[in-house]
Amino acid sequence: MNPQLESFRYDDAIVRKFLWATFLWGLIGMTVGLLIALQLAMPALNFDIAWLSFGRLRPLHTNAVIFAFAGNAFFTGAYYSSQRLLKARMFSDLLSRVHFWGWQLIIVLAAVTLPLGFTQAKEYAELEWPIDILIAVVWVIFAVNFFGTIAKRRERHLYVALWFYIASIVTVAILHIFNNLSVPAGPLKSYSIYAGVQDAFMQWWYGHNAVAFFLTTPFLGLMYYFLPKAADKPIFSYRLSILHFWTIVFLYIWAGPHHLHYTALPEWASTLGMVFSVMLWMPSWGGMINGLLTLRGAWKKVVEDPILKFFVVAITAYGMSTFEGPMLSVRSVNALAHYTDWIIAHVHTGALGWNGFLAFGMIYWLAPRLFQTRLHSMKMAELHFWLATFGIILYVTAIYSAGLTQGLMWRAYDVTGRLEYPAFIETVMRLMPMYWVRVAGGALYLTGMVLFGYNLLKTWQTRPATYEEPVIQAAPLGDYEELAAPRPAGALARFAQAAWHRTWERLPVTFTVMVAVAVIVASLFEIIPTFLIKSNVPTIASVKPYTPLELAGRDIYIREGCFNCHSQMIRPLRYETDRYGEYSKPGEFVYDHPFLWGSRRIGPDLAREGGKYPDLWHVRHMEAPRDIEAKSIMPAYPWMLTNALDFDGIQSRVDAMVMLGVPYGPAVNDAPAMARQQARAIAQSIAAQGGPADLSDKEIVAMVAYLQRLGRDLGAQPAATTVGGQ
Amino acid sequence: MRLSDIMAHAGLSTYAEVALVIFLVAFLLIAVSVFAPSRKQEFDAASRMPLDDVHPQSPRGDAS
Ligand code: HEC
Repeated sequence: MNPQLESFRYDDAIVRKFLWATFLWGLIGMTVGLLIALQLAMPALNFDIAWLSFGRLRPLHTNAVIFAFAGNAFFTGAYYSSQRLLKARMFSDLLSRVHFWGWQLIIVLAAVTLPLGFTQAKEYAELEWPIDILIAVVWVIFAVNFFGTIAKRRERHLYVALWFYIASIVTVAILHIFNNLSVPAGPLKSYSIYAGVQDAFMQWWYGHNAVAFFLTTPFLGLMYYFLPKAADKPIFSYRLSILHFWTIVFLYIWAGPHHLHYTALPEWASTLGMVFSVMLWMPSWGGMINGLLTLRGAWKKVVEDPILKFFVVAITAYGMSTFEGPMLSVRSVNALAHYTDWIIAHVHTGALGWNGFLAFGMIYWLAPRLFQTRLHSMKMAELHFWLATFGIILYVTAIYSAGLTQGLMWRAYDVTGRLEYPAFIETVMRLMPMYWVRVAGGALYLTGMVLFGYNLLKTWQTRPATYEEPVIQAAPLGDYEELAAPRPAGALARFAQAAWHRTWERLPVTFTVMVAVAVIVASLFEIIPTFLIKSNVPTIASVKPYTPLELAGRDIYIREGCFNCHSQMIRPLRYETDRYGEYSKPGEFVYDHPFLWGSRRIGPDLAREGGKYPDLWHVRHMEAPRDIEAKSIMPAYPWMLTNALDFDGIQSRVDAMVMLGVPYGPAVNDAPAMARQQARAIAQSIAAQGGPADLSDKEIVAMVAYLQRLGRDLGAQPAATTVGGQ
Repeated sequence: MRLSDIMAHAGLSTYAEVALVIFLVAFLLIAVSVFAPSRKQEFDAASRMPLDDVHPQSPRGDAS
């Protein structure tokens, strides 16, 4: 034994903090989820209150469950496991606390700004620029703390869970920074520096990899640590887990573009994405098998132990959703599933099953150890397991059928060769029963969550007066001696002994750089061509920037989150062009900072909305959609008819656009006056059609201006292109 | 001449294919090294790491 042992203690106080945060935000995020599920089944629950309307709450739900619930769950497990795997206390208690409170502050800011309508309109990257900066800072603090701990570790080999953590930390930083580059146009308003196709590409490069490196790799790291802990035996195959890791790092990044099949994206890019997605089957199933086989011989224990049950379902859900993901990237499947609830079902298999259950299993295992007592009730945990399991089953069966139903109805033709369901609302009404089943499923899952909290609380109440903090003793590592160790002669022999791989696996810095390089190189090859090859986005002469008033309207569209229900991207498929009109061209979006293609059609596509209805129709429809379309589930926006439009604020928005290279001409100096003029014209036409007398200084005119502009530029071309659907 | 003109002539789409091959090769090298029989002992030790909160499995000077 080494004589100079060092003594230290693990910091579990920080783990307890993250544990409570996980529960609390999980509860809130899921409650909001249940509310928005109810709103789709019963639009009256939008209450005609701006900050409670679906378009504003949906991002709150997604951000809360991803970054607050899953994020804090990852931190809980990472802080617990890293210290033990590295045989070291966290690098700095202060940084741990700053990380904790910083992250919670970000969540609170998100919970305030999103309902107030401050959003960048990019899915899972909605938060506005000051919060984005804060996220970057807190993330760097976490990274410093984490790598600092690695630097002072007393265990030479880095266990595979730590590799997953490292890859997550590095990649999330890269993704976050590049997707959020924007030009501020006010304290809580900014425009993406990318436009149209490029912005879409960036966003889904981000969106795809955020799923990978925020929801998949961190949780795989947790699985590789906590599953052996809970089963009390090592992982089935350590080799397979290493292979699992490298396949994800090498392949996952490439697979982003499949989110944009059939959209105005160059063909080669989405093909590349598809090939890589399909290759992703290998590692994910390897990982699932590895997890499940760890429990071989322990199945009797699984029957009795709810914790292991949570793990088994989590791992199975991982296998299922990673099987489905690549399948969805196959073009023909994607054509059917894209824009439908199928995708919502897919993500909920992943989020409720994989992330949720892994977090529950982990926390049930952790709670008695952290609170140094017994779990209050195993029976209650068992009940939680079954409630949540049935909740998921209800949720996903209902929403898969909803997705399939809607997808099939959109493409159905009758015998005369016309769309069988030309009225979009028919395809919405058909989903209502399934939306109610989803509500039931979600309610079950949430009930389980409440039991979970009660169980945790009761457990916590029986904690000792002071927590024991056992002193650990271990020898410091010192310098990396293995570098000096004699090496086998001959290159071939060295390679066969895998000395190179072993060496850099042990060197965290080299290792991290390797991962970062793999990620960056793959991303660059995916992204550069779309940015730099001119031919990818052919310009269309008739496409002009939005007028100042239209720009203001577009910003209201963004504020209200209309893109959560409406796409603006008609795919080149016959049943799409028959329904909505000429398919969208990349060149139509060159001034769209940010792009607003959307990803889900709860309502119809709006890309060719301009000119389809008179101005007054839109005013009435925005004020009370159900007066126009009795079965509509669109929220009402009555405040647009009373809120004054901030004309003077338009100038700074135009200026920001000009900075981004949008050719604004005279509007550079004169935006408010130009907007007022256009507003008066629209207000007059509304009044002339029999609408309210003077709306010229209200938000609604900007909204109408924007909606009436949509898709018009293409039609302005001499080449005959039809505008509007049937 | 703008950067985009230069890039347009560079034929970047083939680069992606080249990068793909490089990635595949790198990945295969790693796969081979992971399955080298000589590493069994090392991996066995590593896989026990989560189970022991107190004793390092690969401490200083360990030449596994
Ligand atoms: C909860 C989802 C949802 C949200 C949020 C939403 N809509 Fe809708 N929208 C719908 C549905 C469903 C329809 C189809 C029924 C109808 O016409 O009301 C629709 C229809 C429309 C139509 C008519 C389309 C046509 O061609 O018939 C327009 C225009 C429209 N919405 C604009 C908006 C705007 C602008 C916003 C944001 C301020 C918005 N919607 C927010 C669901 C939504």
